[in-house]
Amino acid sequence: MLRSNWWKLLAVLIILYTFLAGMLVPLKPGIVKVSPSSAHTGELIEMEVTGYNSNYLKAKDSLRAWLKLDNERALGASDLEVIDDRNLKIKFQIPEYLPADERIKDLTLILDNSKDGASFLPSAVFITQDSIDPDMGLKSWQNTSVENLNEKAGISFPFRNILKESIRNTYFHVSLWLSMVIIFIASVVYSIKYLRTNDVDSDLKALSLTRIGTIFGFLGLITGAIWAKNTWGAYWSWDVKQNMTAIALLIYCAYFVLRSSFEDPEKSARLGAVYNIFAFAALIPLIYVIPRLTDSLHPGAGGNPALGGEDLDNTMRMVFYPAVIGWTLFGLWMGSLWYRADRLEHKLNE
Amino acid sequence: MIKKKILAVLMLQCLWILAFGQNADPDFMSSIGKIYVVVTVIIAVFLGIVIFLIFLDRKLTKLEDQIKEHD
Repeated sequence: MLRSNWWKLLAVLIILYTFLAGMLVPLKPGIVKVSPSSAHTGELIEMEVTGYNSNYLKAKDSLRAWLKLDNERALGASDLEVIDDRNLKIKFQIPEYLPADERIKDLTLILDNSKDGASFLPSAVFITQDSIDPDMGLKSWQNTSVENLNEKAGISFPFRNILKESIRNTYFHVSLWLSMVIIFIASVVYSIKYLRTNDVDSDLKALSLTRIGTIFGFLGLITGAIWAKNTWGAYWSWDVKQNMTAIALLIYCAYFVLRSSFEDPEKSARLGAVYNIFAFAALIPLIYVIPRLTDSLHPGAGGNPALGGEDLDNTMRMVFYPAVIGWTLFGLWMGSLWYRADRLEHKLNE
Repeated sequence: MIKKKILAVLMLQCLWILAFGQNADPDFMSSIGKIYVVVTVIIAVFLGIVIFLIFLDRKLTKLEDQIKEHD
């Protein structure tokens, strides 16, 4: 029994691992909020900083803070006051002139301590210059270099200010899409096999796999909409990625309509197989090519790669790739159940 | 028939909570670092698997009826 069904057990174990690792590994400490977030040159600003998963009180002695202007220049904190593990008051003396010729300059806040490691908040403070003089700024700039940053011990997922814990959706939304593509590829292989051999079983396999792929696709769309609501502000933003995936799924829905519109099962199978190949040929440009050509809110579009940078670091890969394999095997299991029911029906009707 | 009605009502309720439960209080969804977004997504995936089971159940019932007629 277990000899031929080992891959089903594997699917369950991998998904279990995905749930456990994906939900229980903590996020890296991060900076949620800074107020005030704007200042003028020449001011002494006192910022209240709210952290996430941070240990400011426990690592009080090693706490350091900077406002980073660019890769070479950073401003050290003139005073640091720890309120508790999550709250902090930092004072910065902003110089009279900045070594920059823009009127408004955004600075990155960097915090570092021995327990949390380094955390960043890009564009934390916007400094308005009353008069612009880069040369004076360069002369009067007192640089505190950002160095000897700590690393957080143990494994953790990256902290992204707009995503926070919802970065874990990578394992339940992104991986479903990748599994869907793998399942659709398998379906196309069986469709081609059917066209070459006229073997009914191949057609039934292709049909079941397309069903599962479509279910996964709709799940991807729904989970994506829930995620979008809490990140972009709306379930459906008429974003190019959302629109194109919806069109691709409608093309696949038409596959089932097309199949059921023929009385003759052989005709239905033959046309279904041909249509499936064309549907897959439309799917890839619709979901992977067109969104990359224009601007989109979705990662992996408009030139920003989805599977790279800080959205998917090496710790996340350790969960993400198993998740793709797990969901694919799970989908194959679901598909094989349907295929077996279909085959029984076919045998009965013969 | 009654069973089907109960099932439909339960499913609708789940969808209702999924769609509008989070509209009621946006602060709730963004609390504890937006962890409830992940919870909602996992519930959605679970419901997808349940819908698959319902379809498969109906298919197998149809097959069983056919076999009964056959005998």
